[in-house]
Amino acid sequence: MSQLQVRDLQVTFGGLRAVDGMDFDVAQGEILCLLGPNGAGKSTTLDLICGKTQPTGGSIRFQDTEISRMLEFQRARLGIGRKFQVPSVYKELTVAENLSVARSMKPGIWHALTHPAIRRSSKMQDILDLVGLQDKMGEPAGNLSHGETQWLEIAMLIAQDSRLILMDEPTAGMTIQETERTARIFRSLSANHTLIVVEHDMSFVRTVADRIIVMNQGSKLAEGTIQEIEANEAVKTAYLGH
Amino acid sequence: MDVVFNQAFAGLSIASILLIIALGLAIIYGTMGVINLAHGEFVMLGAYATWALQTYAGLGVVTALPLVFVAVAAVGWIIEKVIVQRLYTRPLDTILATWGIGIILQQAVRLGVGADSRFVSGPHWLSGNIEIGALVMSNYRLFVIAFSIMVLGATWLLMTRTEFGMKLRAVIQNRGISECYGIEAKNVYSVTFAYGAGLAGIAGALITPLFSTIPTMGTGLVVDAFLVVIVGGLGSLMGTAAAALLIGEVTALFSIVINDTLGRIAVLAGIILLIRFRPRGLFPSDIRH
Amino acid sequence: MNTRLSYDIIGLTLFAGVILFGVPALFSYDGFELNTFSRYLSLAIVSMALALSWGTAGLLNLGQAATFGMGSYAMAMHLKLKASGDGLPDFMGWNNVETLPLIWGPFQSLTFTLLAGLLIPAAVGGLIAIFMFRARIAGVFVAIITLAFLVAFQLLVIEQQGLTGGQNGLTGLAQLVLFGWKIDIYSVSFYYMVGGCLVAALIFGLYLTHSKFGLVLRAIREDAERTRYFGYNVANYQTVIFCISAGLAGWAGMLYALVLEFASPTYMSVSFSLAIVIWCAVGGRESVLAAAVGAILVNLAEGRLSDVFVEGWHMILGVMFLVVVMFMPRGIYGLLVDAGRVLRRKPASTKEALPFDTPLNPKQES
Repeated sequence: MSQLQVRDLQVTFGGLRAVDGMDFDVAQGEILCLLGPNGAGKSTTLDLICGKTQPTGGSIRFQDTEISRMLEFQRARLGIGRKFQVPSVYKELTVAENLSVARSMKPGIWHALTHPAIRRSSKMQDILDLVGLQDKMGEPAGNLSHGETQWLEIAMLIAQDSRLILMDEPTAGMTIQETERTARIFRSLSANHTLIVVEHDMSFVRTVADRIIVMNQGSKLAEGTIQEIEANEAVKTAYLGH
Repeated sequence: MDVVFNQAFAGLSIASILLIIALGLAIIYGTMGVINLAHGEFVMLGAYATWALQTYAGLGVVTALPLVFVAVAAVGWIIEKVIVQRLYTRPLDTILATWGIGIILQQAVRLGVGADSRFVSGPHWLSGNIEIGALVMSNYRLFVIAFSIMVLGATWLLMTRTEFGMKLRAVIQNRGISECYGIEAKNVYSVTFAYGAGLAGIAGALITPLFSTIPTMGTGLVVDAFLVVIVGGLGSLMGTAAAALLIGEVTALFSIVINDTLGRIAVLAGIILLIRFRPRGLFPSDIRH
Repeated sequence: MNTRLSYDIIGLTLFAGVILFGVPALFSYDGFELNTFSRYLSLAIVSMALALSWGTAGLLNLGQAATFGMGSYAMAMHLKLKASGDGLPDFMGWNNVETLPLIWGPFQSLTFTLLAGLLIPAAVGGLIAIFMFRARIAGVFVAIITLAFLVAFQLLVIEQQGLTGGQNGLTGLAQLVLFGWKIDIYSVSFYYMVGGCLVAALIFGLYLTHSKFGLVLRAIREDAERTRYFGYNVANYQTVIFCISAGLAGWAGMLYALVLEFASPTYMSVSFSLAIVIWCAVGGRESVLAAAVGAILVNLAEGRLSDVFVEGWHMILGVMFLVVVMFMPRGIYGLLVDAGRVLRRKPASTKEALPFDTPLNPKQES
């Protein structure tokens, strides 16, 4: 039983079919990469899964529950996490506070009212050590450098510990070393998490992807391993136009 | 039936006043996203300017209109340059800052002119009523209605047919790109704020024969004007006009059915519901902001 | 992270010391002076209530005066009934009301009054909150809707003369007998009661802001949408803080009615609501303690200076407010925090951290 099942997913924006009949499954612990030219509907598909946008048709089943009508925070509670293209940490909160917010296993009000804002734990310490921010715990996130901000975001994702993590162009603007390091982190994450990654960087995709789906004009163009995709004529036509 | 017609006229009259007051506010809010809580005080300044011109220069209300427009617009221009311009990145703070400005203007007038109610007489040639059967329409109120439509029309022409209007619309839609094309957004904002203030001043001038002119007259007006703008929808002249008409007529209607105060409460409740269900108003612009 | 809590606790202790010991000593335990100061203390409570919803959660409740007013009327209704013995309150007779209206009845009971003064504002706040936050209304629209609600509420209270005393409010109130203690509002013990309420409210406020609840609210204030993606039901959080803030405002209103010995629609006006905003802004909306201090300072200044500047006080208030909004948007508290940061800052590291070059799991040297 696959963890995520998407069937005939559709969304229309004022006449434009942004996503048009997407069908795919994702197995637990898999790293699935979504590729495709600009405007293919990749980010929109992620939006539909995490709840940022409501579909106009089709179904999304996560761990055997139909989620396409649920609000985004309900989906987050079920275990779906999202990293957006634009870095989004809480600039006015400190690093430790950011992590504390991200640690949302128990997001209810009662729990929040009866617990302090920050609870030191070995797990949090480990995450901070992993990304190298352990000396910046009390620093407002707005003061971090660009690189440190990206690491904070990854730390927050790890702290959130979602079963399914949706990533939108995680290596955009990264150097080669940074990309390699991100790939290592992703592979270690996939032991306990499922990842769906929208990406353009083919070398990164080659390193991390278990499976690839290429989208074009809102629907699935091709699906398979990296070798199968690279050999696929239809994919070449869509990307290169002839 | 007569009652209905008379109330319909009353509603139209209320609507025309709301329209002129709200129009300036709508333009300011629509362009710059600034909630100008001092707008009521601009109306008040217009009223006092009219009184001063009548008392000291013997000018009638209608003659005074262009002078009042320029005077209040100038005040608005200064306020925008000195204060509002610094707060564009902080929308909630502009509400508070303009409220502070409103208090200052109100107190300045109170200290300078006195808190007593001032009386301004309407133009002689507009006194009296037109009577059609049992329908009684005050000439002056008819004039205000006609004038408000004219102001609406003039504003629409300004926005759509002049170069300034084109720049204004460009800046509303996309400030960044407009600046790349050489449009000085700051200047556009200043002139727009001044224009909105000037309109408020005219509104103040026009309502002086109808309401008492006291320093605190602005406070009540600004909330009403605001609600008209919100109901009408962001950046939409048509919407503001429609909302003014709707609210004016509904207020008048409720006044027959229940009493004035409860009527006003019902209108407020209706507006709250409307904002909740259609926060972008009756005629929102189609552009995705 | 815990340094902020330490500062807050020290601040609160100092504040409590000043309010409960310093001030009475300063006024030589004069009942009259202390009564005036009690007024400032009850206003401090509504100011800190606004700080909870505005400073922490980013919700500018311009209708705070309405919930404040509900509390003050609740207390006043109870005391009016006590003053009227077995008969109808006098203003009802003047308005041709024959029998005691139903909602007045329960206010005979002190317990009901005390609960109502807290829970009715909280419930009304909750209804408005649910109405707004389920629809994800935010920012400026919250301010507008709460403002519209305030205007409507004040109109209603004034209009229903037979029920509320209309424009004149409720006057001629009896002394409060609080479970056997007949309260003399010009006594030192009354001052201690009000001071104690303020300190209790501040402790509660500090607890909230330092809990995870307060942290999530600050996250919501900065980016509500992102916070949803972490699984938090943002509307619920906003509703709860809004209710708490409204309830505290009601509590402040009850104390205020005691101090003033009347309740009036003047304290439900747009001007009064914005005055609360001014006090909160001057002190610093991010800190409940600062907001309380702001209210006390501004009202103290008004008390002392409005005799000197009889005509110009409101103008001064307006100018002060404008200056604060423009140049000190985080209030006096903000200035202190920035000063503290400047004093404590270590020299900035000249080389930008390059964590990407280092191997995973390092122990970094700064």
